Amino acid sequence: MKHEIQFIINGHARSLTVESQQTLLEVLREDLRLTSVKHGCSTGECGACSVLLDGEVVNSCMVLAVEAANTEILTAEGLATDEGLHPLQKSFIDHHGVQCGYCASGMLISAKALLNRTSRPHEEEIREALVGNLCRCGAYADIIKSIQVASRARR
Amino acid sequence: MISRKPHVIGKPFPLIEAQKKLTGVTCYAGDEKIVPDMLHARILFSERPSARFWLSNVDAARNHKGVAALLTGQDLATRMGQTILDREMLAVEQVYFAGQPLAIIAAETPEIAEEALALIQVTYEDLPAVLDIEQAIAPGSPQVHPDFYDYPGADALHADPAHNIAHSLTFSRGDVEQGFAAADVILERSYTAAHLQHAPMETHGGVAQRQPDGSVTMWMHVQAPFLQRKIIAKALHMDPAKVRIITGCVGGSFGGKVFVSVEGLLAAIALQTKGRPVRLLLTREEEFKGVFTAPAMRAHVKMGATKDGRLTAIQASYDWDVGASVDAALFHLQSVALAGTGPYAIPNADIRTSAIYTNLLPAAPLRGLGVSQVHWAIEQHIDELAEILNLNPITLRQWNLVKGGDMLFPSFIMHANGLQSCGLQVIDAIHWHPDASSHHDDAPEPDAPKKRIGQGMANGWSPIILSEECGSSISIHFDKENLCNIIVDGVDIGQGLYAFVTQLASFELNIPVEWITVEPTDTANFAPDWEATYHNLLWSTGHALLKATAKMKRQILAYVSEVWEEPISNLDIVDGEVISYASRRRYPLLELLEQNAENENNAPVFSVTSVYRPPNTDGSIESLLQSFASTAYAAEVQVDEKTGGVTILQLAAAADVGHALNPESVRAQIKGGMIQSVSFTLLEEMIFENGIPQSHNFRDYPIATTADMPQQLHPIVVEVPQQSGPYGARDLSHHVQVGAAPAIANAIYRAVGVRIRDLPITAQRIYDALQAKRAEEA
Amino acid sequence: MKAFDYIRPQSLEEAEGHLTQEKRVNILGGGVTLFLELQNNDLTPDIILDVKALPGFHDIRYHHNHGLKLGAAVNLQHLATGLEIRRHYPLLNQTAQELASPQIRNRATIGGTLAWASPVSELAAPMLCYDATCHTWSPRRTRTIPVNELYLGDFKTALEPDEIITHIHLPSFPARTYGIYQRQTVRHDGRRMIAGAATLAIRKHHTLTNWRIAVLGVDDRPKRIPEAEALLEGAPDEEIIHLALQAVQENIHPQDVVYARSDYRRAVLNALLQRSIHSIISNLQES
Repeated sequence: MKHEIQFIINGHARSLTVESQQTLLEVLREDLRLTSVKHGCSTGECGACSVLLDGEVVNSCMVLAVEAANTEILTAEGLATDEGLHPLQKSFIDHHGVQCGYCASGMLISAKALLNRTSRPHEEEIREALVGNLCRCGAYADIIKSIQVASRARR
Repeated sequence: MISRKPHVIGKPFPLIEAQKKLTGVTCYAGDEKIVPDMLHARILFSERPSARFWLSNVDAARNHKGVAALLTGQDLATRMGQTILDREMLAVEQVYFAGQPLAIIAAETPEIAEEALALIQVTYEDLPAVLDIEQAIAPGSPQVHPDFYDYPGADALHADPAHNIAHSLTFSRGDVEQGFAAADVILERSYTAAHLQHAPMETHGGVAQRQPDGSVTMWMHVQAPFLQRKIIAKALHMDPAKVRIITGCVGGSFGGKVFVSVEGLLAAIALQTKGRPVRLLLTREEEFKGVFTAPAMRAHVKMGATKDGRLTAIQASYDWDVGASVDAALFHLQSVALAGTGPYAIPNADIRTSAIYTNLLPAAPLRGLGVSQVHWAIEQHIDELAEILNLNPITLRQWNLVKGGDMLFPSFIMHANGLQSCGLQVIDAIHWHPDASSHHDDAPEPDAPKKRIGQGMANGWSPIILSEECGSSISIHFDKENLCNIIVDGVDIGQGLYAFVTQLASFELNIPVEWITVEPTDTANFAPDWEATYHNLLWSTGHALLKATAKMKRQILAYVSEVWEEPISNLDIVDGEVISYASRRRYPLLELLEQNAENENNAPVFSVTSVYRPPNTDGSIESLLQSFASTAYAAEVQVDEKTGGVTILQLAAAADVGHALNPESVRAQIKGGMIQSVSFTLLEEMIFENGIPQSHNFRDYPIATTADMPQQLHPIVVEVPQQSGPYGARDLSHHVQVGAAPAIANAIYRAVGVRIRDLPITAQRIYDALQAKRAEEA
Repeated sequence: MKAFDYIRPQSLEEAEGHLTQEKRVNILGGGVTLFLELQNNDLTPDIILDVKALPGFHDIRYHHNHGLKLGAAVNLQHLATGLEIRRHYPLLNQTAQELASPQIRNRATIGGTLAWASPVSELAAPMLCYDATCHTWSPRRTRTIPVNELYLGDFKTALEPDEIITHIHLPSFPARTYGIYQRQTVRHDGRRMIAGAATLAIRKHHTLTNWRIAVLGVDDRPKRIPEAEALLEGAPDEEIIHLALQAVQENIHPQDVVYARSDYRRAVLNALLQRSIHSIISNLQES
C-alpha cells in the first residue's frame, strides 16, 4: 500500500511516496540519502539510527515512514548551518568524542534532544540520556565531556 | 627573525576525520550510493555445527526472476587462509560450524535475494560435533578436521589433529623442576575465559565489482586490506594484482575485520555478474552468527615463590577454543607464548599454549590477542600468592617486575619500561596504599553493612611482535593541485591513524596541517605482493613516515639549493617556506609549486616512497619481538553481599606509550579500552548451545552502555621512551586492556573474600561463591 | 518486513470496519515489540492498525477524587516526566525513568506496553501496585480489566485478538503513599532482568496499610503477592517481614534463563524485597 506523505526534514519540506512497511530509517537513507542515520541492529537496541521526531529522540528503525507524516525530523546532517558546525559537533571534534565514528550521529541527536530540554545537564543526566546509544569503542567518557562543554557554549 | 613553529608533536591535536563523521559525510558499509545496475548479495548460512549437507532446488533459486548470479560449494570449492587454508569459502559436502556459508546470491534487490535464498532447501545429516575444549582433546572424540594434512599449509603447524590440536607453541627458560624445588610456596589454579564477540557497530559489508580486465575492485571496510587481498587472491586463484581493495574508513573492527570471513564471497559473486557492482551488508544477526568469535580460554597456572617474595618458577598452559578454523588465531598463540609468564622476571618458566579445533564459529583475536586473558590468570595468581606469603600485593609485584636490561628471551634485552611506574600510579589514582594485611577483611563496614568495598590492581605487559610482513610503505606527493598528498597502507579503524600521519607530516615538513590530505587506503597504490601491518601501526607507519618526510624534505631542499646555488646545509623548511639561514632568502612552497607547474620542462617531481620493514628475523618467535607495552589497572568496587551485584566506583588505567605524540588521543584510547574492558569483564559471554550461537542481537549479547561506566575513570599516560620507536613512541592499540579484568577480580576478592576465576564475572558467580564460602565457614 | 496495509483510523467506528473483516490485523502503538515480530516474520499481518489517532488515546486527566486517566497511546516518556505522575504516582514515575532508553520511551505506549505480557515487563509492576484498570474496546463490547487480571502467563493476556486498550485508569492514592521499585539486571540499563519488585504501602497514622508487592522475573507473568501483602498490614517487625518474604517465596515460580538460575532469581528477589520493605517502613520512622 502506497502513501503520499509530507514532512519537514532538516528544515526542508519534502513529499515522498512510501510503502506501508518501509521504516523511517530506510526512507531517510535510501530515498533522501541521509546516511548519517545508520543501520546498527534493527531491534531498537543500539541507537545508531536515532533521529529527532517532533523534537523527541526515537530509533528510526522502529518507526514506519508513514507514521512520520506531517512531522519535523532532524538528523545529524541538519545540525550544521551556513554559519558552521553546531556547537555539539565542534565539541565532539575538540574533545575526542569520535573514534570510529559509527555511533557519532546517533550520539549527536540524543545530545541535541537533551540540550533542548536541559541547558546545563549534570553528568548523570547525560549518562541517562545516552543510555540507548551504544558505542563499541567505549568513547562514552569523552562523548559525555563533549556534551558538557557544548552545553556551556553560547550559540 | 626566523623562528620555528611551535612543536605540533606532544600537543593536543583533534582528529581530522571527525568532522566528516559528525556531519554524515563519511561513507561506511551500507552507505554506498545505490547505482541503477547495482546488485545486492545475501548469504545462506549453515544452521548445524557438524553435518553432511545437500542443497536442493538450487536451480529454482538461480532462475528466480531478478537473480543475477548464485554460487554454492558445487560451483566454487576453495579454501581460505593466510598460513593454513582450513576454512572453506563455501561449504562443499560438509559443514564444520553453524554459520558457515552454504550459498551466496546476487539479485536486483535484497528482498529478491532473500526470496531466492529461501527457495533453496538444505538437508542436514548431523555428524558428531565437538563443542568444547574438554571434549575436543579427550581420547576417542571425533576429529573436527580428519583431512587436516590435506590443507595447504598444515605442515607449518605443530598440530595433533587426532586430538583436535591445531597448533601449539611452547616457550621455556631455565629449569622449572629446580625452580619449584627452590620455592617455599607453590600455588596451582585453573582459570577460564568465555567466547566473546567483536560486535563492531558497523557490520561487515561493502561493494565489489568486476573490472573489464577481469580484476575485481572491492570497496570494503576492513582492518587489513593487504592481508585480505592476499587471502582472497589465493582462494580465488587470482594474481593479487587483480584484487584491489579500497578502505576509506572502518566503523570498528577490534580484530574481526582482519581475516577473511564473508569478504571473499563477495569478490567471488562479483566475478559472476558481468561487471555489475554487488553490494553486501550483513544484518546484526548475521554479524553475530556468521563472522568470527573471539576464542575461549582454559588456563592452568602453577607458580612457585620463596617466602621472601621471589618468584622462582612458573608452569602455565593456555588452551584456546578456536572453533573450526585456526588460521586467524595463530598470531594469538605467538603473543601468548611470549607474554605467558606475566610481566615478571621469573628465572624458570615453562609456557605452553594450544589452539584447539571445535565445531564452533572460527575465532579471530579480539583486541588483546589473548594477552588480556593470560593476565586474567596471572594477575589473580600473583595476588593470591601475596596473601599466602603475607606480603603486600604491590611489593610482591614490584620486586619481580621485568626491568630494563633483563634478558628473558634469547636475543631480546628488555628495554626501559613503565611497568613499575604504571603500577604505582594507578593505585595512587584510586587512593589505595595497601600493606601486607590488605587482603580480605571480614569485618562489616559501618555505613553499608551489606555492600562492601574493595580495591585491587594488576600489572600487564603485551608483546609488540613485528614480523617481516608488518612493514609500512608511505608515499608523499607534493604538487600544485593537491598540495601534500599522502598515501598510506594502514587503515584508520578509529584510532586516529590519518590524524597521526597528518600531524607527523606537518611537523616533519614544517608545513600547515591544511595542506595535507591522506588518501583512502588502496591496495592498487602498492605492489601486488606488498603486505602491510594491520596492528601496531604507529611503529611501522611512523618509521616509514619519518623516512618519507626526510626524503621529501631533501628533495625539496636539493631543488632549491640548485636554484639558489647555495649548499643544502644552509637551507630549511619553516612554516611552509624554504629559507636560507645564510642568505636569508625565502621561497614559499606554494610559489615553488606554482612555478613548477608552469615550468613543465624542468619541473622536478616532488614525490617519494619510503618503506619500513621490521628488522630481519631468524624465524624464531623471540626474534619477532620488537618491544613490550606496559600497562596497569586499579579498581575500587562495591559488591552487594546478598546479590553479588558489582558497582565499579573507580577504575584507573595506566599505559606506557613511550612518548605521547597526541596526548588527548592517547587518553581517549585508554578510556575507550577501560570501558570495553568493563564490558568484557562483567557483561559479555558468547553462548553456544549444541554448537549454535545463542546471541542474535544486542539483547542477547549486552555490551556496555553509559549506565555501566565506572563512576570515576582515571586514565594515566606514562612515558618511558622507546629508543627505537618513532620519536620514542610505542603503540597502544590492543595492549590497552591488559590487566583490567584481574584488577576488578582482585578488588572483588578484597571486598567480599571470594575469587572468581571464570570470565565474565557475573553477579550470579559471585553469589554462588559467597554461598559456598558461607557453607564452608558453617 | 513483508508488505501490509497501514491504516490510521480517526474513530473507533472506522477501526471496527477493519477489525471485522476476514483479515489479519495487528495493532500498532509504539511498535517497540510489534516491529521485532514483524521483522522476524513471526507476524505477517494484512493490516497494521495504528491507534495513535483515535480520540481520547492521548488524554491525561487527573482529579484528586477520581484518580488518573491515561489514554492508551500516552508514551512512557510522559510517565517519566509528567508533572501529575511525579506528584501523585511517584512509584510509577520512578519506574518509568529507569525503563529502557529515551528512544524507546518516546515511542512505547502505555497500552501497547501493558499488552505485552512479558514476565519482566517493568511497567506492569507499578501499575499492579496502583490497582490500575485497563479500559478496552472491541467490536462486540467495551469492558474493564484490572491489570491484576490482565496477565494469564506465558506472554498471554486476557485481551481478545481484536480488543484494544483505550485508556488506563489509576485510582486516587493519598499523599502519604510510599512506593519503591528495585531491580537487578545484568546490564545497568535494565537489560536482562534477574528479578524486580515494586512495593507500595499507604501510611495511616503510625501504621502502613494497603501493602502492594508486584514482582517481575520470578514467574510466568508479572504478579502481585497478596499472601505477603496481607501479612505486612500494620507496622511489621522483623519477624513479620521474614514471614512475608517467605510467603513471597512460596508463591513464585521462577524459571531458569541463560543468564540466571531460578534459585538465584529467588535470592535476588528476596534481597530486593527486604530492602524495599525496610525502605518503606523507614518513612514511618522519619515523620
